[in-house]
Amino acid sequence: MNEEHTTTAMGRFAAVMAKAAAYIMMIVFTIMTLYPIFWLLMNSFKSTREFQMSQLSLPAAPTLANYVEAWKMGDFGLLFPNSILYTAGATIGIVFVSLLAGFAFAKIRSRATTPLYNGFIIGLLVTTQSLMIPLFLEVNLLGIYNTRVAVLLVYIGAGLPLGVYLATEYIKSIPNALIESARIDGAGFFAIFARIVVPMSIPVAVTLSILNITSIWNEFALINILVSRTELKSLPLGIYKFSGSLSTDYGKQFAALTIGMVPMLLFYVIFRKQITRGVAAGAVKG
Amino acid sequence: MLQRKHRGIEEGRAYWAMVLPAFLIYVLVMAFPIILSVVLSLSNYDGGKMFGGDAWGFAGLKSYAQVFSDPLFWNALKNNVYIVLISVFGQLPLGFIFAYIIYRKLVKWPGFWQGVLYIPNILSVIVVGLLWQTIFSPNGPIAEFMNTIARAGFQSKLETLFSGAGGFNITDDLVRKMLNLAGPAASQWFTDPVPELKELILSYQGSPHALLINDLCNLFVQKWSPEFLSKPDIAMLPVLFVILWMYTGMYLILFLANMQKIDTQIIEAARIDGATEWQVMRFIIVPALSGTIVNSAILAISGSLSSFALIFAMTGGGPSRVTEILSIYMYNNAFLGRPNLPLANAISLIMVLVSFALIGATKALEKRYGGKEE
Repeated sequence: MNEEHTTTAMGRFAAVMAKAAAYIMMIVFTIMTLYPIFWLLMNSFKSTREFQMSQLSLPAAPTLANYVEAWKMGDFGLLFPNSILYTAGATIGIVFVSLLAGFAFAKIRSRATTPLYNGFIIGLLVTTQSLMIPLFLEVNLLGIYNTRVAVLLVYIGAGLPLGVYLATEYIKSIPNALIESARIDGAGFFAIFARIVVPMSIPVAVTLSILNITSIWNEFALINILVSRTELKSLPLGIYKFSGSLSTDYGKQFAALTIGMVPMLLFYVIFRKQITRGVAAGAVKG
Repeated sequence: MLQRKHRGIEEGRAYWAMVLPAFLIYVLVMAFPIILSVVLSLSNYDGGKMFGGDAWGFAGLKSYAQVFSDPLFWNALKNNVYIVLISVFGQLPLGFIFAYIIYRKLVKWPGFWQGVLYIPNILSVIVVGLLWQTIFSPNGPIAEFMNTIARAGFQSKLETLFSGAGGFNITDDLVRKMLNLAGPAASQWFTDPVPELKELILSYQGSPHALLINDLCNLFVQKWSPEFLSKPDIAMLPVLFVILWMYTGMYLILFLANMQKIDTQIIEAARIDGATEWQVMRFIIVPALSGTIVNSAILAISGSLSSFALIFAMTGGGPSRVTEILSIYMYNNAFLGRPNLPLANAISLIMVLVSFALIGATKALEKRYGGKEE
């Protein structure tokens, strides 16, 4: 009786300690995550001189001058629309092309499916970044260096292995009976695709969109070798301009970094649930 | 019969019409570059027109020999391995612990912690790289924070000395104590420290006490300018720290999503039968997640090989190329100085093969030792 009492007391003590340790860990890592971002935001409102005098305190004389200048110097007025175009265009392309191929692979019998599908699956293992030099040479060979088409093509191609994989696996779960009865009613495959497959594949389309929007919006390595003209660049390329010679002009650099950070933060705040779910569903490699 | 044949043709046409867009783009972006890198890595192509320009031809395995005998290649490969290791032994365990804490409801507001810890993942790697470059810079916030603390400490010790001396009663003994406090920093200013410092302090008679303290601090507290990113032997550490900072949240999400698939009745039954928290983790949760753990390791490998921009922005591969990873090593061989395109293409192909080999090895390990799941 007495012994049992002590064990439960000890158990309770251990449980409290575990909770305390859990909270401490969470709080420490939360601060470590948020403080650098907060520090950046805070200092983006200081003049470079004020930053150099004190970088740990709140801005004494907050100013938006950094943003105005960074926006001009980084040509963000040009790059923002480009980023939106590349992200939206490539995402729509990936989703559409993947669903089409996924439908064919999942629901139309063909001897070509096994080798083709496996080809896409192998692509899951290849990171497109490791192909940037041959891609650069290929794009020059085809005469599409410094074009939006090249950027969109490469982004769509890079997204296809995961897109085709997720789309095919998802469309397999659509009941065959649905498609067969539509066939008996005389519907062609494209009509079935438009009227049955696409509406039923919205969840996988959302997952694919979420994954591709975040990765394409932030992409740097590939677009860096595909375009060199300012009119064609995306935001990450513009932000990178603020390293190097401009990196001592802290005020402007911080404003540029914040400009690069805010759209994705907003996107995350709005679509957090979908993003979290999409990441868990899309974490497939081979 | 005729109708069936007609249907077969229609089916075939529809199939290819649907598959071709994906197939053609895929060939253009994945398959053709791989073939191109095979061809060029075996050649002596030196830029210029690929067709109709200067002749270029077969050069055998020369470029591969050159890569494997280049210490910079092995350094870059080593850094890629470090990134995999920090993922497998840093991000994975941390992510697992966070996920476990949230899953077992050891803390309130599960959505909040999860939401916050994932934030770095959605930021642009360029933003993250440049941000941390500034944070780690010699006069960044880490340096300022440490310097502020050091100065405050010195100041309070000075104050104690002065208040012990009771106002402005400057004795040789007090000056000597002050010099002790300042340490070797003092000797660089004076040839004969004690009388010279005493004279200096006495010259402040009449001016505000705070001014004296402030000037003494300026004189004696040495500014620390850490060289996290410019010392070759440690520059990789901040890079690895940032990678840990950035991607741990992803593994948290992966683990948590898969923990939530575990049947809670099993855990409750085990708890009723007297299993401790530790036993629940060891015998129920970890085995159920073995597939996720392998999957995460594979993600870590491919993440390491695909990373480029973070290090490109943060260190540019420097100082003196010690923080180069394979992708940056390849990039520098293709675009910096005298481009060596066969070499760069050889590296490209090696990277593709390395990812196949590593992921294959991980899967083989899973087959051998895993398989508790499903």
